Amino acid sequence: MAVAAPLEAASREGSPGERPPGEPRLVGYLYLLPAFVVFAGFVLYPLYRAAYISLWDWDGLTAGTWAGFDNYAEVFTDEDLRAAFVHALILLLFYAVLPLLIGLALAGVMARARVRGLAFFRAVLFLPQVVAMVVVALMWKMIYQPTDGALNRFLGWFGIEGRSWLGDFNLALPSVGLVGTYVYFGLAMVLLTAGVQKIPTSLYDAARVDGAGPFREFLAVTLPGLRGEIAVALTLTTIYALRNFDLVYITTSGGPGNATSVPAFQVFSRAFESGQVGSAAAVGITLTVIIFIISLGINRIAERST
Amino acid sequence: MAGVRFEGVGKRFGSVEAVRELSLEIADGEFMVLVGPSGSGKTTALRMLAGLEAISSGSIFIGDRVVNQVAPRERDIAMVFQDYALYPQMTVFDNLAFGLRRRKVPGADIQRRVAEAARVLDLEALLQRRPGQLSGGQAQRVALGRALVREPQVFLMDEPLSNLDAKLRTQTRGEIRRLQQEVDTTTVYVTHDQVEAMTMGDRIAVMNEGRLEQVGTPEELYERPANRFVAGFIGSPAMSFFTGAEVGLNLPNVVGVRPEHVRPWREGLIGPLKGRIAFVEALGRETFVGVDVGEARLVVFEEGRAERDVGDEIEFGLVESGLRYFDADSGAAL
Amino acid sequence: MTSRAEQTLGYVILGVFSLIALLPIVGILFTALQDPDGVAAFGSLNGLHFENFKTAWEDGNFGSYLKSSIIVSVSVVFFATLFSILAGYAFGLMRFRGSTVLFYLFLLGLMVPTEAIIVPLYYDLRDLNLTNTYWALILPQIATSVAFGTYWMRTYFRTVPRSLVEAARLDGASTWFTLWRVLLPLARPAVLTMTVLLFMWTWNEFLLALVMVSDESLRTAPLGLSFFQGRNTSELSLMAAASVIVALPVVILYIFLQRHFIRGMLAGAVKG
Repeated sequence: MAVAAPLEAASREGSPGERPPGEPRLVGYLYLLPAFVVFAGFVLYPLYRAAYISLWDWDGLTAGTWAGFDNYAEVFTDEDLRAAFVHALILLLFYAVLPLLIGLALAGVMARARVRGLAFFRAVLFLPQVVAMVVVALMWKMIYQPTDGALNRFLGWFGIEGRSWLGDFNLALPSVGLVGTYVYFGLAMVLLTAGVQKIPTSLYDAARVDGAGPFREFLAVTLPGLRGEIAVALTLTTIYALRNFDLVYITTSGGPGNATSVPAFQVFSRAFESGQVGSAAAVGITLTVIIFIISLGINRIAERST
Repeated sequence: MAGVRFEGVGKRFGSVEAVRELSLEIADGEFMVLVGPSGSGKTTALRMLAGLEAISSGSIFIGDRVVNQVAPRERDIAMVFQDYALYPQMTVFDNLAFGLRRRKVPGADIQRRVAEAARVLDLEALLQRRPGQLSGGQAQRVALGRALVREPQVFLMDEPLSNLDAKLRTQTRGEIRRLQQEVDTTTVYVTHDQVEAMTMGDRIAVMNEGRLEQVGTPEELYERPANRFVAGFIGSPAMSFFTGAEVGLNLPNVVGVRPEHVRPWREGLIGPLKGRIAFVEALGRETFVGVDVGEARLVVFEEGRAERDVGDEIEFGLVESGLRYFDADSGAAL
Repeated sequence: MTSRAEQTLGYVILGVFSLIALLPIVGILFTALQDPDGVAAFGSLNGLHFENFKTAWEDGNFGSYLKSSIIVSVSVVFFATLFSILAGYAFGLMRFRGSTVLFYLFLLGLMVPTEAIIVPLYYDLRDLNLTNTYWALILPQIATSVAFGTYWMRTYFRTVPRSLVEAARLDGASTWFTLWRVLLPLARPAVLTMTVLLFMWTWNEFLLALVMVSDESLRTAPLGLSFFQGRNTSELSLMAAASVIVALPVVILYIFLQRHFIRGMLAGAVKG
């Protein structure tokens, strides 16, 4: 075959690069293209733009003035912003820590007990996560309602005087936080019970042979065995807590005063209500960095103690 | 039909040389077994022939055609995978027909070829099942059938029996050999099992650490191993190696001897040698007795069930015609 | 035996918390069915007054809100699923230069909250005259969904035996044919899980709609609900009925496909 000869000569020296023949070079990029274009256009580019805007003092209308890192410094110095981040930290207790403790309590009890019908409980416990956060928020607004809300009526049966749960400066933040607990405790419970059932029973037998009581058993076997699940539960709930916008916007709009203002709410109100667009972008970027560090940190800790 | 030729073929994965300068000619219609321990490069060689790995250097020919740059589908080959790789959601029929449909074979032809393969492999009753509903042996036959219907120039088989149990493996060994002789298609068969290699191959290529150690018929490899590696790899129990000094005999170089050439002492053997019994493997029809002599360990072969105890002394000798000599440094046969 | 006591205690804890999870939801259902002319109180039941739903649907304009939500959700889920399958296939089963770096970019996107990009998204889309259109809701959500979907599908394709893909290649199937005819029929559970999660997130999305859309006809269901409650704070049963309408589509889907929802959420699924 005369035509094939030059081609054969060229191919004698093996394939250039380490690519099997018939696996076209560019087809991988082609498959990636649609996802990447839309992702780059509507996540990566805006992220870059947010970082850029965060370096300016801009009201969204007139020309901005260069601010350098002032907007970031403000995150620590501005009282409203500092308060918002402190509130986020407090909310972490309700979104992440409290569900985790509930989950751990259940896991500790269920360590050696096989429970039937777990699928049913799981379906019910997950329900609050499926309902739109706006609806959950409305629901709880009705429950917390001071005059004839369900909670105050319930407390009334025991002769306890009702409160203005969302209107009180001291109660508003924990009240919002408890809604977070309501939404996410199911996740922690299901994650941890699933995890605890995977711990080999021989470990518990060994612990008992060594004379460990229920509490020691929990510390020595259950807790270490759940490391991975704890990390997942904490990461997820922490991210949800930091992204919490819908709930605050609907229930309190950050009030009373700024008692329930959180970073996500600050982004919204600064960018679209009070014309501090640069500052809003800086808060958004800061939030991203914090989420990034926490996710990475929790997983690093979980891996290291393996 | 076509033969296969490797010409100085090499494969590097980063700094690792998986296959070095492999030159091997496989005749048209020949059943060639590539055998070697894991990491010897045998599977990589097969995958380069299939077109699933790029070739770092050298050339591979199928017939007269260099296939280095030819896509797998254009090579006119069919492959049987270790895990069978059957398409789980398709019926057995569709699994067999898949490759033919992709090649735009006319429908009537597909029907005929699948029916023929199903008949030969006894799959007729299973054609409407899915792979999940098959036993290991059945799935294995479907995998063979998928290669068979393609009527390719070359069959490639990558450890196709390693997921079967021992009894089925022995049985299928014979079946594959019979099929291959019927269709008379060039076959390259990869295995780590030297028994499989010895019983199936027209010729065997022994590989080790990316190098081709020896190519030959099973008999050649057994009788005239090219070096210590081949000598030790082929045959079970393995050949024993020792130096004259270790056992107190006046023999040069490194000596290798297979168990059947090490017998309890009688006149006409080289010896007598004395040693302490380290293990006894009584298989019923024969007994292998491991004996420590100085630094060396030899395996003595005895007919029938021998009454021996570990720790006892034994006197034995060597059959002169069974001794093989190897260079102490290079390991090459002398 | 302690194990028996532990089992009982386990049931008690599960039961109590299931009740806590369920009570507010049952409460809002009951409220939605209350007599609209009576004295409404959250959680009490005084008959089955389905007319609340009708009133909410008509006066509250929820027909229009649901239409917007369906348009947005279906578009986002369809394109995000398609793009994610393609990209996940490339990352999971193909070798190409830069694939690791590109994949880490997608992972980064998974952690970026909407709050971080909402500011430039709004101002840049406004300059393109795209705010107050469905595009402003659809395109950014395809992007954030694709970050999750690509990760999810890559994970799935990594579990596919390589030999299956190689067998298809030897049989003469193109990469495109291999994806749709060989791999995707197996991937149905993974794709379905991804689809329901994306649908849930998109349907429940609030912040983006709040910022991007001012036209009432473009409001999605959650956004419509938040405006509705601003107008009708006194009519408790009407608001409850509206809430039920907004939550219902996802809840119904959840009832039928709960295993997929739970599997996805337990796997740690988060979207930016």
